[in-house]
Amino acid sequence: MLCALGLRLDKNLAPAENRWMTSVAIIDYGRGNVRSVFNALDYIGVAATITDDPAVINDASHIFLPGVGACGDAVAALNARGLPEILHRQVFEKGKPFLGVCVGMQVLAAKSFEHGTHDGLGWLDAEVHRLDPGPDGLKIPHMGWNSLTPSRAHPVFDGIKTEDLVFYFVHSFAVTPSDPDKVLTTSDYGKPFVSALAWDNVITTQFHPEKSHDSGLEVLTNFARWVP
Amino acid sequence: MLKKRIIPKFLLCDGRLVKYRQFFSDERQAGNPVSTAKVYNDYGVDEFIVLDIIPSEDSKAIVRDIIKTMSEEIFMPFTVGGGVSLLDDVNALLRAGADKVSVNSQAVRDPSFVADAARSFGDQCMSVSIDYKEISPGVPRVHINGGREKTNHNPVDWALRMQDANCGEILLTSIDRDGMMSGYDSDMVARLDEQLDIPLVVSGGCGGLQHCIDAFAAGASAVAISSLFLFTDHSPIKMRSHLVSNGINVRASKTSRN
Repeated sequence: MLCALGLRLDKNLAPAENRWMTSVAIIDYGRGNVRSVFNALDYIGVAATITDDPAVINDASHIFLPGVGACGDAVAALNARGLPEILHRQVFEKGKPFLGVCVGMQVLAAKSFEHGTHDGLGWLDAEVHRLDPGPDGLKIPHMGWNSLTPSRAHPVFDGIKTEDLVFYFVHSFAVTPSDPDKVLTTSDYGKPFVSALAWDNVITTQFHPEKSHDSGLEVLTNFARWVP
Repeated sequence: MLKKRIIPKFLLCDGRLVKYRQFFSDERQAGNPVSTAKVYNDYGVDEFIVLDIIPSEDSKAIVRDIIKTMSEEIFMPFTVGGGVSLLDDVNALLRAGADKVSVNSQAVRDPSFVADAARSFGDQCMSVSIDYKEISPGVPRVHINGGREKTNHNPVDWALRMQDANCGEILLTSIDRDGMMSGYDSDMVARLDEQLDIPLVVSGGCGGLQHCIDAFAAGASAVAISSLFLFTDHSPIKMRSHLVSNGINVRASKTSRN
């Protein structure tokens, strides 16, 4: 499908000429496989920079917050680099499209219960709890491919058939928001958990679009051309 | 619901794809790992496992380059291992594009290594690879150093210890079954699955589609496959449609999606 759109041809275009005049700041806070995010955006012809430089973040049109590891540790790393205030201004005052992935989703919550109790950035009235293995003793981490059940349409899923909403997950904790209207998709692991949240110019996913083959590249493509 | 995974396993020797039987006999060359990986990527497999079987400082650099190249064009998870003995080795592989790093011998030599690495890089990116063979009937023992060195660990006990050390996944390989294409050690999978709380990838012995069905029925989260894809006319596409028609929840193949 991507081939048919000719997206792969864009790979070598300079940032100013890139297809959607988009430049994505991939936030570097020493956590997460940022290189794979860069590679995926580069592959679909989107200009991206791995950065923690406020000036570069300010110049970017879109913000991508990656992350693996523990939530509390990630929040501490963001704080150590003074990034929360910078990101908050970009997202809430300037209204830039924001995509937070995995721990980059979890850090936005008010509180996390991973390895003790930790404060999150509190952009969202939500808590991060360990997945429940349930009576069947499900394996934790929840690792592998799982499908999404969308509660409404969203531009980042444009053009993706419902049966193709299958993405790669690797996590042991998940976000529970107090406002159900912000839930964009749920997925099932013994019982439903929140796999994507969206409100205004913010979307966050528990799954990894950069590791989710064609469906993931389509989500990234849609994000890059998203103008909320 | 979470899908069962199909994972091609690539063994590298000096950067070339190779395949043996029972780890040491009948060496066969299987080509260029990057071009082979791209073919499987187009078939829509679920992940890749890449193991450097005779690691040296030179070969580690080659493997990092291969992973770097693969991760520029393949957007799926990679588990990479072979000769990982320092936290710096883990870091270098993650930076090259690996999502999970597989540790084998070093986990035995330094029992705190896996816990240390999990603390530094996250549980989910530590995979412990366990190679075992029967030293007498009914007595399986973990072997390290590419199967050359016997330990006194029973694979089930060892896997549970590694789970306690916070590894995120176990890759379990039967040396006796490696390359023989006679079926996975489903009894061992069942025994381990009963006690293990983390995902289990089973490896060694896949020679047909029924073998995958048996392994999943025994409790495997994923099947690792080498010979079946490298040396027969089976493809991941054919495998998926067969598994789906047998009621196994795997990701739909690309052809059926387009």
